[in-house]
Amino acid sequence: MIRVTGLHKRFGDSEILKGIDFEVPPQTVLGVMGPSGSGKSTLLRCLNGLETINGGTIECDNVRLEGGLSHSDYRRRVKDLRLKVGTVFQHFYLFPHLSVLENIVEAPVHVLRTPKQTAETEAYELLESVGLRQAARRYPGSLSGGEQQRVAIARALAMHPALLLLDEPTSALDPRRINSLRALLRTFVDRGHTMIIISHSMGFLSGVADNILFMEGGYAVEFGPAEEVLETPKDARTKDFLSSADSAD
Amino acid sequence: MAQEVLRWGADPSGGAPYVFTDPANPDRYIGYEKEMVDALAQAMGRRAEFVPSDWETLVSALQRHSFDVIVNGLEPTGDRAQQILFSKPYYIFQLQLTVRRDDNRINSLDDCKNRVVGTLGNTAASRLLQQQGIPYRSYADPVGAYRDLELKRLDAVIMDVPAEAFYARPNPKLKPAGPPFTRGLYVIGLRKGDEALKKEIDAAIDKIIADGTLENILKKWGLWNDAQVEFQAPIRTGTQTAKAEEYTSTNASFNWSEALWRLTRAAAVTVLIALGSMVIAVVLGLPLAVGQWKGPAWLRAFCTIYVEFFRGTPVLVQLLFLYFGLPVIGIAMPGWLTALVGLGLNYAAYESQVYRASLEAIPLGQWEAAYSLGMGPLLAFRRIILPQSFRIALPPMTNDFVSLFKDTSVAFAISVWELATAYRELANASGQFLLLGVAVSAFYLAMSLPMAHLARLLERRLRDRATERVVEEEEALATT
Repeated sequence: MIRVTGLHKRFGDSEILKGIDFEVPPQTVLGVMGPSGSGKSTLLRCLNGLETINGGTIECDNVRLEGGLSHSDYRRRVKDLRLKVGTVFQHFYLFPHLSVLENIVEAPVHVLRTPKQTAETEAYELLESVGLRQAARRYPGSLSGGEQQRVAIARALAMHPALLLLDEPTSALDPRRINSLRALLRTFVDRGHTMIIISHSMGFLSGVADNILFMEGGYAVEFGPAEEVLETPKDARTKDFLSSADSAD
Repeated sequence: MAQEVLRWGADPSGGAPYVFTDPANPDRYIGYEKEMVDALAQAMGRRAEFVPSDWETLVSALQRHSFDVIVNGLEPTGDRAQQILFSKPYYIFQLQLTVRRDDNRINSLDDCKNRVVGTLGNTAASRLLQQQGIPYRSYADPVGAYRDLELKRLDAVIMDVPAEAFYARPNPKLKPAGPPFTRGLYVIGLRKGDEALKKEIDAAIDKIIADGTLENILKKWGLWNDAQVEFQAPIRTGTQTAKAEEYTSTNASFNWSEALWRLTRAAAVTVLIALGSMVIAVVLGLPLAVGQWKGPAWLRAFCTIYVEFFRGTPVLVQLLFLYFGLPVIGIAMPGWLTALVGLGLNYAAYESQVYRASLEAIPLGQWEAAYSLGMGPLLAFRRIILPQSFRIALPPMTNDFVSLFKDTSVAFAISVWELATAYRELANASGQFLLLGVAVSAFYLAMSLPMAHLARLLERRLRDRATERVVEEEEALATT
């Protein structure tokens, strides 16, 4: 579904991503872990085209983004890539001037030119699946953090992305809600969705991710099936992080 | 004992040939009335001292003891008689209609019925026009009136003959339309109760007429004519003094219903200027804001220069420039349009800063969320950023609109008949500064308060939308 090879990203003189490789097969979840400053967030911003990559390739469906393309060519491909990749930001960034329903149909209607009627029917189905059908006419300002997150998920899925990115989805949730989010995401995977979840919560990822990518200092230190990486990490840095995270939990 | 002083007030700006700054020696005032007052003072054994003042406020300045007498081609009118005392007349004035040289439509005052005529405010000419129901615009000095006649902002100008002789006759682009008409008197104005001074002045007037001093002065200034001969003859033979009844005197026909009607018209002009310039400001402000915020370097520089120029120079100067400066390159707009465009350009600079601040206040995350949903920059701006920043911009925009309403008053500088001009002229004509002031304030408030109220309603609707929905739903739940 998405393949990343040799991904490099620099800000001025400092190199944040120093050659990242991984692949996410369809209908699976990749969890990206790592300490602060390891480059996880930059990786996510490269995958949805908010940062320009300096080297390597990102391939998603038939879109191929690579470093060293001409400016206009790169922009055109980023536009295509964004139609393949949906993002749920850590702080959701719902549009506060639009109702929940309007938030969801905004992009399908104005970007994909879906008829409004069709878009709204679909939006109600998505709201149903995240358990917020009754909130369609409310405004984001009157929703709790968890509700806002589920609207953000519905908004991203309304564009039928090939891949869904979630940035730190547990940061605004209490433990009970973390469990229900995990269940919700799994049902979407069962329906055919593919995801990359960035999180520092080992507990959350262990229940939802099929594969784990452990990053540190701009390198992909370890990449493999979730149980393997979490139970029997090979790299010393992964071991270190996991044991300190354990004692913190 | 020191010589007593005779302090006299007059308006020297555009005041030729009465009293004006000597072009050859700007420290000095000259004029036939200057020379006449010097002669009068000499006859009285006093020393004349000139106090430069403003035509429109001469009477109130006299009453405030800024000077002892008004000598400024003053006509004895009924309403002035209630406020001040008059001396004997010293000059017979006539009125002259002036048009453009190539204009053959207008030959007399009767041809002016549906034209716009310019004249000085609060003069015999303006009162005559008012009585005849001819639309007129009043000016602070003859220069402006004759220039607007040349620029076709006016169809004709009426002035007292002395001013016309000095300012219009030498101008090859203008010509007199018909002979001079009506005969009126110039007198000297004194404070009520100054009977002793009046007696002194009257005697001095008789003296300078009898001994030919005044004739010499008037001849020197080209103002000696048949009317003066007829007027002076009986005084000089000692048979009688001039009788005021033989001459026309105009009176301001001031009544409250007419004043209110004129104020209403002025209010309509004020609203027109305010609304028109706000449309320009709101529309032009947005490209300025976006250009300064996201544009390429040259556009940013242009927008910054625009904003700094219009914010950094007084709006009054900008209006004067548009009104008097642009005709030099062939663009002569009427006064109301000049005010509308000028204020619009000026407020666009302020609106652009309001917009820029409110656009920048939208978190970057809103842009990124829009981009990651596949929106392009234009769509994201139009659908996501602009509606949100509009809510932020609304209160300061309301504020600007209210102050724009008040700023329309600078249009009085270019003779636009809006509320401030109306107040100044009606109050000067009637002396009703207090009552008219209250009326004019009421007009301003009647316009600005509803507007502020509407804006508050809109603000509240936008802001409370989210919470209102919740309340509605909770109420719906409670009833089920």
